[in-house]
Amino acid sequence: MKARGALSAAVASAGILLAGWQAGTQVAGVSTTNNGSTTAAGTSGAGTSGGGASASGSAGSSGSSDSSGSSGSAGSSGTSGSSGGASTAGTFKGSVVQTRFGAVQVQITVSAGKISEVTALQLTDDDRKSIQISNRAAPLLRTEVLSAQSAAVKTVSGATVTSNAYLSSLQAAIDAANL
Amino acid sequence: MKTQLLPATPATGRPGQPGLPSIPRAPRGRTDHGRFARQHRQRLLRADLLTVIAWTSVAASVALWLADGGTSAVTSPAALFTAAGIVAGLAGMDLVLLMLLLVARIPFIDRTVGHDRALEFHRKLGKPSLYLLLAHGMFIAVGYGMADGLDPISESIALWTLVPDMWLAFVSMALFVAVVVTSLVAVRRRFPYEFWYVVHLLTYAAVGTSLPHQFSAGGLFAEGTWQRWYWLAVCIATGAALLYCRIAQPLVATFRHRLTVSRVTGVAPGVVNIEMTGRHLGRLAGAGGRFFVWRFLAPGLWWHPHPFSLSAEPAAYGPEGQGTLRITVRNLGRGSARLVRLRPGTKVALEGPYGLFSTAARGRDKVVLVGAGIGITPLRALLETTPFAPGQATVLLRGHTEQELYLRDEILELCRQRGAKLFHLTGPRAQWNSTTWLPDEAVRSGYSLPSYVPEIADADVYICGPARWAGNVIADARAAGVRPDQIHHERFDW
Repeated sequence: MKARGALSAAVASAGILLAGWQAGTQVAGVSTTNNGSTTAAGTSGAGTSGGGASASGSAGSSGSSDSSGSSGSAGSSGTSGSSGGASTAGTFKGSVVQTRFGAVQVQITVSAGKISEVTALQLTDDDRKSIQISNRAAPLLRTEVLSAQSAAVKTVSGATVTSNAYLSSLQAAIDAANL
Repeated sequence: MKTQLLPATPATGRPGQPGLPSIPRAPRGRTDHGRFARQHRQRLLRADLLTVIAWTSVAASVALWLADGGTSAVTSPAALFTAAGIVAGLAGMDLVLLMLLLVARIPFIDRTVGHDRALEFHRKLGKPSLYLLLAHGMFIAVGYGMADGLDPISESIALWTLVPDMWLAFVSMALFVAVVVTSLVAVRRRFPYEFWYVVHLLTYAAVGTSLPHQFSAGGLFAEGTWQRWYWLAVCIATGAALLYCRIAQPLVATFRHRLTVSRVTGVAPGVVNIEMTGRHLGRLAGAGGRFFVWRFLAPGLWWHPHPFSLSAEPAAYGPEGQGTLRITVRNLGRGSARLVRLRPGTKVALEGPYGLFSTAARGRDKVVLVGAGIGITPLRALLETTPFAPGQATVLLRGHTEQELYLRDEILELCRQRGAKLFHLTGPRAQWNSTTWLPDEAVRSGYSLPSYVPEIADADVYICGPARWAGNVIADARAAGVRPDQIHHERFDW
């Protein structure tokens, strides 16, 4: 009777694995578009194209249709920065920072030499947990940064990786704005 | 009534015949009738069900990851390592939970495979689960490290310091290693049982410290996913089974039965009968032959659990089920030495009954009981109650001397009353033949199991005795055409 048990166990296991795999391919299809819209929220040209070699293929970055923004390179590109120190105005993108949970990039809006808005172009989104952490951390970081007017703010506990990436991208944006 | 006491001479003796005519194997169809056929079929079905549950739980842990789109994330070598790490971790966790369930003494498992088989599976799973957990740690470190551009060691340090709850996971891994290493046979022999036991208790700490990182850092366990609910349910169910079966149920049984030692009488040098009185003993009917874990609540003894089988069916006679229980104990270790001097009036805590050494394991109408030394005593209880028609039971008792056939007078009396054949197989063992269980003299005469029990291929065979000896009996029975599910073997030398 051992054979009967082993056989049924094998069949049942195979069935469950197959069902899981089947469900997985469907989920992956859905999540690609979902994540795409999540990342792209707020901006239009934000998606990185494939990221660096180390990007662990997050569905979000590959899923977004347009890929005009900066591509994984360090440095930043101010879209409409002027040269004046105190009178700096415009939007400035920070560098794309890769983490094991996905890429992070922020953009600041500067008016009259002050940071008036911080927008997250990309946040750690490799899995649901990361998305959840990002969604919690981003507003906290934005508030802190707006009041401190610099990247020298405390990281959000439980979102250390996201915070560090957020703040270093932010610093690059601030540097680009010459603030 | 055909009760026979035949010291060492087979009933159907064909002395000196080297190759006994082989006993025809029982035809397969024979299992389908008889009074135990239904019970037997159901037990085999339950065993198959347990096999299926165990394997599918492993499959399910991987399938849930697949269902979460696990494979779609594998787009780079780093992600491949991470994915392998996640799968290993999930399967490892599942095996650890299975191991816990196997030692939870869940009645369903005990009724199906018996306590010692469950422990055997538990032991078998030890190393695979550790390997999976180690692979989990290493693959994740390598995978994350590749994504971050760090070597696995630096990545591990980064994980330890940066990710909340991750240091607990490292502690957990160290504990798992300690638990498995101290359980390896070679290592276990060097330390006293108590040391092993205390280290083994750390398993709970190991599982406890591993849980936080699964739920806080594991992507699969993220809030709002049904995978999280599945794992939460499995973990809670395992914990509840352990709490109920290993703590609540024994406490309830102890307070229900309120056992007290009433009499300690000598049976043979170093062997005593311990009789206990208690209440509601009617509820333990049929427990004869099965074992309980006893704790004698006396100074210096209370913390030491003793697994002993009942050597007599519980007798209840009072209006509230007042009655007596009896165990027969041989002075085997430091613990049991003290039991010989147990005082009447000592309170007793009990866990059980456990094991399949009972009528619940029967599948055939005929029954053969084979016991050696102190292993004879549970057979005595079984012989008292297990149903058989006169002439359908055979009892084989093995001992160095007649004095080592403990409870032999009681067994002889029971055999007379119930019509069972009885053989006393005494004498020195055959030193020249390590594969025999019979006395030297019987081996020289060319006897084996079928010489005493020609119909053995169609009988349930209960075997209780030292491990090596019992192994030889099992081999002899198998050679005589007894199928594995007819063999009921209880280890008593833990």
